[in-house]
Amino acid sequence: MARMKFICDAERCIECNGCTTACKNEHEVPWGVNRRRLVTVNDGVPGERSISVACMHCTDAPCMAVCPVDCFYRTEDQIVLHDKDLCIGCGYCFYACPFGAPQFPQAGAFGLRGKMDKCTYCAGGPEENFSVEEFRKYGRNRIAEGKLPACAEMCSTKALLAGDAPVITTIYKTRVVTRGKGDQIWGWAMAYGGSDQLKDQAGGKT
Amino acid sequence: MRRETRGARAAFVAAALLLAACHEIPQDAAKPYAGKEDTKAYAGDRFNGDKAKYEKALADRAQNENEYLRTHDAKNQ
Repeated sequence: MARMKFICDAERCIECNGCTTACKNEHEVPWGVNRRRLVTVNDGVPGERSISVACMHCTDAPCMAVCPVDCFYRTEDQIVLHDKDLCIGCGYCFYACPFGAPQFPQAGAFGLRGKMDKCTYCAGGPEENFSVEEFRKYGRNRIAEGKLPACAEMCSTKALLAGDAPVITTIYKTRVVTRGKGDQIWGWAMAYGGSDQLKDQAGGKT
Repeated sequence: MRRETRGARAAFVAAALLLAACHEIPQDAAKPYAGKEDTKAYAGDRFNGDKAKYEKALADRAQNENEYLRTHDAKNQ
């Protein structure tokens, strides 16, 4: 069983916004809703880094936990999706999400919120695959076509990786090791407090 | 004698109350999904319900993101 995830390689992202444009175009996302966006840290300062952020399809998704109408579900590939027919647009998921993934289109005057919209991993939603209704509510279903999300496939530097977790982590690990920073900066220690090891490396933590 | 019984009863109630605080409600219980059933991604004409074929298509597609492999292949051609 696949476990579909995104990884964004901050060393490669050139802030071109190709991923956000691909997403907007592929799903005809309405004005004011951004399923994917770029976040730049230390913008304008030498050594700035950018990452592309959208729904990360969490293994233990907080949006799912807080939803009062239980409109979230997980596909066989561990993609977190939701039923817009059930969503009441309460916004709890927006507060729960650490990535700011849930988006709410303005549905009328006085800031009235519409139903939540978020990255679907290009997997559509709970409508018949490739139906007009599915496209209208959730966008294109590339996964059912055997394709990966448009944002990752469009990424010119392949900074954004999408696919089964073991596959894309292997690709990413190959890059890290090939960059010459060594095997020691990979794994648990690096992810959880071992970044001090980078301070002696070129471009590492100072 | 009666005083001792009362004391024992109070100790029993206190112990029960203390132990009750140790009870932890599971927080990771899977929440039910109340919406419509989604069709499987591999159910359509493209894969005709063949899950293995679907997973292989995605895995092959993911390797297009691995330019180390792609350039290696290009060198060998």
